[in-house]
Amino acid sequence: MEAPYDDRLLHQRVVGGDEAALGEVYDRLSSLIFGLALRVTRDRVIAEDITQEVFLVFWERPLAYDPDRGTLRAWLATIAHRRAVDHVRAEERRRVSALGPRLYEPEPARLEDNVLAADEAKRVRQAVMALPDGLREAVELAYYGGRTYRQVGEELGVPEGTAKSRIRLALRRLADALAEEEV
Amino acid sequence: MEPVERLYLDALMEDPAVPERSLRPQLLAGARARRRPAAPTAPWAEPYAGRVAAMDALLASAVEDDWSRVIVEGWTLQELVAHLAAKDGLLAASVGAPVLGPAIGANDSLGRTADVQNYERARSPEQTRRDWRAQADALCRHLADLDPGTAANLDGLDAPVSDHVLARCLETWVHADDAARTGGLRLPDPIPEHIHPTADLCARLLPWTMLLSGLDGSGRTLLLTLTGPGGGEWHVPLGVADPAGGGGAPDAHITADVVGFCFLLGGRCDPRSFPADLEGDLALAHDILNTAPALSGP
Repeated sequence: MEAPYDDRLLHQRVVGGDEAALGEVYDRLSSLIFGLALRVTRDRVIAEDITQEVFLVFWERPLAYDPDRGTLRAWLATIAHRRAVDHVRAEERRRVSALGPRLYEPEPARLEDNVLAADEAKRVRQAVMALPDGLREAVELAYYGGRTYRQVGEELGVPEGTAKSRIRLALRRLADALAEEEV
Repeated sequence: MEPVERLYLDALMEDPAVPERSLRPQLLAGARARRRPAAPTAPWAEPYAGRVAAMDALLASAVEDDWSRVIVEGWTLQELVAHLAAKDGLLAASVGAPVLGPAIGANDSLGRTADVQNYERARSPEQTRRDWRAQADALCRHLADLDPGTAANLDGLDAPVSDHVLARCLETWVHADDAARTGGLRLPDPIPEHIHPTADLCARLLPWTMLLSGLDGSGRTLLLTLTGPGGGEWHVPLGVADPAGGGGAPDAHITADVVGFCFLLGGRCDPRSFPADLEGDLALAHDILNTAPALSGP
């Protein structure tokens, strides 16, 4: 998916050394990036550090992002996820070595260039399956089926506005479901 | 991105998590330390300051091998950066801004380029990068308080300083693009607000590029339509002494992409295969395009 015009413009401004553009990117996406890092690390201080680092890396190396290959949100989320997973793995290794002789072989480190690791993606899919039918259908059509709000409405026989509010409600339920699992 | 990933991110956005304290001020201070923002300068010089910052971002990702790779004119990346510093320094000298690097001896572009390249060859690529950026930023800071109409001279060419600065913007842009291509990177375009004045300079140069090529367009006019962000429409009198903004029907009409047009003037497009729609006097339109790169060069 190519990046929308807004993403391109912010990227152009950041490449041109416009600090205010970095501030705008931060205002738009910091809570998402922080939330993502927090879910993986479960440590607010570490999640704050990762959030800072993600935006600093984007400022320092803006040409690493290619708007032809995806949205800015996905790019920053991928960096955040990678850093958060790295942190968790390093913590695991530290804990294991503190236990003395190795009791088990840890999983070989496999860096995935994704926002979600395979097991996390599975949890999201399961949470979708657990949604009430009306919400689940709307989400499946919009995300797995790539339909617009209007098309979702047509297929479900409801107005576009209803389709839109169902999807937003579904997203909030998903967020709650994913948060509960982590407690 | 996988649909499930998009779904996950959308769900996270519905459940905003907020750090205990805002990280924003800390972030901006940290950013400034990691990569210098565009130098503060006069609004009319911002397109140039922006290209300097973009070139610097590109140079930040250059590794050792990149610096010794030949980019253009037989110059390595380090020599190319020294060349930019040389011409920025000559413009700085012309308007009383600080000149960094070796004391000015030769005061033409090629001579000064040779002097600065000799000086920089004894230094590391990273030092050359810093020297160039320091010269460009010193020029920007000096321009902050300068009237855009201030007379300036570069290579014997008298023009308001604002036009010389836009020419520096175009050259920095074109060379950053040269370097990006060699390194297999894609440099995004400047923002539309920076492209527009650069394209405006290019449009106003057309009578000169024709004249330099032995063609006198006096009394004739061009309607130039440049498409894409930062584009617009220009009525260009084609004689160097013609009054600006003459009414009446144009003799020829050229429509082309605005970035492509800037790169044509910058000597990076073959005029014969340059994509453009031509109307009116086609011979005149071809003459305009064929001569457009006349002012480009090192």
